[in-house]
Amino acid sequence: MKRLRFLGPHREEAVGTLLGWLWLKRVALAGLLVVVLLVPQLFSTFFASSIGVQSLVLGIAAASIIFLNAVVGMVSLAQTALYGVAAYTTAKLAVDLGVDPWLAALVAVGVTVVVALLFGAVASRSGGIYFLMITLASSVITYYFFSQVTAFGSHEGINGVTPPALLGKPFVDPTGMYYGALICSVLIYVLVRYLRRTPFGYALQGVRDESIRMRALGFNVPLLRTAAFAVGAFIAAIGGVLLVWYNSSISPGTIDLTRTIDLLTIAVIGGLGRLEGAWLGALLFTLIQTYSPRYTDRFETLIGLVFLAVVLASPGGIVGISGSLDRWVQRRLAGRKA
Amino acid sequence: MATSPPVAGALRVRGLSCRFGGVQAVSGIDLDVAGGERRAILGPNGAGKTTLFNLLSGEVYPTAGHVEVFGQDVTLTPARKRIKLGLTRTYQTSRLFPRLSVAENIYLAVVGAEGGQLRPLRLHRDDEFEARARQIASRVGLNDRLEVVVASLSHGEQRQLEVALALGGKPKIMMLDEPAAGLSPAERGSLTDLLVSLDPAVTLLVVEHDMDVALRVAQRVTVMHEGRVVADGTPAEIRGNQLVHDLYLGRAYQPPSPSGRGQGGGRSVTD
Amino acid sequence: MLALALVWVLGRAVGLFGASANLSLFIVVTLNGLTLAGLYFIVASGFTLIFGLMRVVNMAHGSLYLLGGYIGLRLVEHRVNYWLALVLAALAIGVVGLLMQQLFLRWNQGQDLRQALITIAISVLLADQMIPTFGAAAVAIKAPDGLSGALRFGLYDIRYPTFRLVVLGLAVLIGVSLWYGIQHTRFGMIIRAGVDDRSMTSALGINVQAVFAVTFFIGALLAGLGGVLGGTMIALAPGQDASFLLSSLVVVIVGGMGSLAGALVGALALGLVAQLSGVYLPAGYTNFSILLTFALLVFVLAVRPTGLFGRR
Repeated sequence: MKRLRFLGPHREEAVGTLLGWLWLKRVALAGLLVVVLLVPQLFSTFFASSIGVQSLVLGIAAASIIFLNAVVGMVSLAQTALYGVAAYTTAKLAVDLGVDPWLAALVAVGVTVVVALLFGAVASRSGGIYFLMITLASSVITYYFFSQVTAFGSHEGINGVTPPALLGKPFVDPTGMYYGALICSVLIYVLVRYLRRTPFGYALQGVRDESIRMRALGFNVPLLRTAAFAVGAFIAAIGGVLLVWYNSSISPGTIDLTRTIDLLTIAVIGGLGRLEGAWLGALLFTLIQTYSPRYTDRFETLIGLVFLAVVLASPGGIVGISGSLDRWVQRRLAGRKA
Repeated sequence: MATSPPVAGALRVRGLSCRFGGVQAVSGIDLDVAGGERRAILGPNGAGKTTLFNLLSGEVYPTAGHVEVFGQDVTLTPARKRIKLGLTRTYQTSRLFPRLSVAENIYLAVVGAEGGQLRPLRLHRDDEFEARARQIASRVGLNDRLEVVVASLSHGEQRQLEVALALGGKPKIMMLDEPAAGLSPAERGSLTDLLVSLDPAVTLLVVEHDMDVALRVAQRVTVMHEGRVVADGTPAEIRGNQLVHDLYLGRAYQPPSPSGRGQGGGRSVTD
Repeated sequence: MLALALVWVLGRAVGLFGASANLSLFIVVTLNGLTLAGLYFIVASGFTLIFGLMRVVNMAHGSLYLLGGYIGLRLVEHRVNYWLALVLAALAIGVVGLLMQQLFLRWNQGQDLRQALITIAISVLLADQMIPTFGAAAVAIKAPDGLSGALRFGLYDIRYPTFRLVVLGLAVLIGVSLWYGIQHTRFGMIIRAGVDDRSMTSALGINVQAVFAVTFFIGALLAGLGGVLGGTMIALAPGQDASFLLSSLVVVIVGGMGSLAGALVGALALGLVAQLSGVYLPAGYTNFSILLTFALLVFVLAVRPTGLFGRR
């Protein structure tokens, strides 16, 4: 209860209000979690797959951006390209070579991580805005690669990718894929939280805040950044595999510049600093994407405006708003002293 | 100039020079620091003291000369490898990890020296590292602030943490860049006590403006001016050095009483 | 490795390595590369100017390019003289850029990430609004009469589109003017000083805000100018904005941020690599040509992370 020190003479009343507020937040959170767990049961097939599964999958992809930014201080626009690599590899292996979907997924994730290590080794010596530019350029190049190389289907991409039997077909019965994506999301969330308290995680946070000091302390900063980039790629790859299974296909249009920016938008809307924001941002994005055509043709303009508004007003995104609310409540309580 | 025994040299610098564009930051620096010695480096602003530190810690590479630490040539060794030789440093402006707590900061310093930076698992070793971090925090007087995030520390506490980070690396040579900067007199006192109480085997290089701290801690003093060494000797010799007075203290010279190396007291050199 | 590639290309041109001698193809492809490089240079020089001085990565640069092209298209369709349309479109985009800077970027200088995100958002808005306004089909601007034909070279009986050569000429002209402007005028000196040390320049009493505004105007103007030229030389379509954002990024990563010479070298490298690889890769692999562009990028990053002429 260290937050209560500033409350002064009107302590009891303030304590009551503060406790009430905290209790309310906890209840709301619990309710939300229950709903999330029961989506396939509570909602229509359409909703569960189009909104539910898609939000989870995009959330995983966005989580890779947020992980890299929040923990390592690297803003990467290459994550879309990376999940594209994973998706294409899975599709290619499954459709053209008849490989078992789980094996294909495994190889795809592996390939993506290797690509990330190679690319990261070169890009990790650039920080900040340079890194942003390099990853953006690489993302667009990856898009061109997949849209030009005939082995990957050029503009049509690859179709007929069947998800593993365990997950089922999302538009027929989304239960399997929903829970699969949910489990992956939870695992990734837990993994990142755990990682933060390991030597590797601390080292990454050190690199984020004081890379010069880190060098003097004996840390290999480029190596750490490369390794972090590989972890980010791993997360994105999982998203890519789930995505290609969800859509049963992959085409260059899924990883073009617009989609790259969409993913960034999701991360920013959710709040670049907190991992939870990835899924919240993805949910908001998917809701807008699914329901806005009733009101306007220009979905991207709408998203762009939301993105702009968030960047201009609250850099913390939706999750940042929760933090701002906390502080607002505390200030109101402190104000009651007088 | 008194000569120091070169055989067990902790630090040996010859002809070190560094140029940044049109500015000659340091030129022709020679330095011999023995193991376990306490050396103060004094000089007015712009004398090149911090540049010297940056050259020794590897953040900057020299344009001429070489640096040896415990007999090993480290002139062009990358900064992160120098910690293996037991070389640690602090910075003039604290470079702490603002979002981590005191304990976590020191823990990072320990991990840096011990290795295992890529380890994505918490092992038993980490408990030892954390214990060591707590010990070091106690030594610098931060044991009741362990969980406090750096951004919430006072300036004095942050400077203490700076020193703690240098201690975390199991140092054999510690380079402290103006550790007393911005500290209150009481804080300066405890800092000096800390430095004096360090393991005698640890070599200490202290850059300081504050003569009290420097002369109390130091066995030998090197004075720099405009990138060069202009004087080198015991604190008594330096106090009695006309050139140093003219350059640095700017006070009227008064012959010191024969007090030798002792508690220097205030800034005035008249006794 | 560069030498090997060069030998390969020249060899194929001359008739070695199993290809029939086709020097005229080589010349045409090289000219394609050079003229494309000229266009890239014009656009990227604006990009690097804005970054060099203000450290703003203008992600909307590609959108400004495309918008400029479309404005030029509309003007030419309304029978405005081509050159007048060119100037008007360029000026219009300069104004758009200026507005962008004044409204969204002026008050958060120094926040690199935030500014980049803002320009990204603007690029999305512009791109999405251009589709309903100008259509999704590819269109080209009609070149002015007299320049729409091809020039004959006596050499190997080559005919090469005149307009592309005009673009190359314009690129040289612009490059020289920019270089002269930056090296020999007072304004250019201010820009150079600002690139070196912004706070110091401001401390000297120079109206940094005005300099920023003008620089952003010029940078955007160059993008718009490039858009009209590119729209004539190539075509205009949704997706060209991404293409020219990419080329600007690559030119500047390879050549170095804030360096005009770097933009020149980067543009040449990109133009030539892109065109030559499209033709001279071993048969069956030509669709991998984009990888060579990527290889160029990676190679430069590995060797000089700040670009060939770059400095932090």
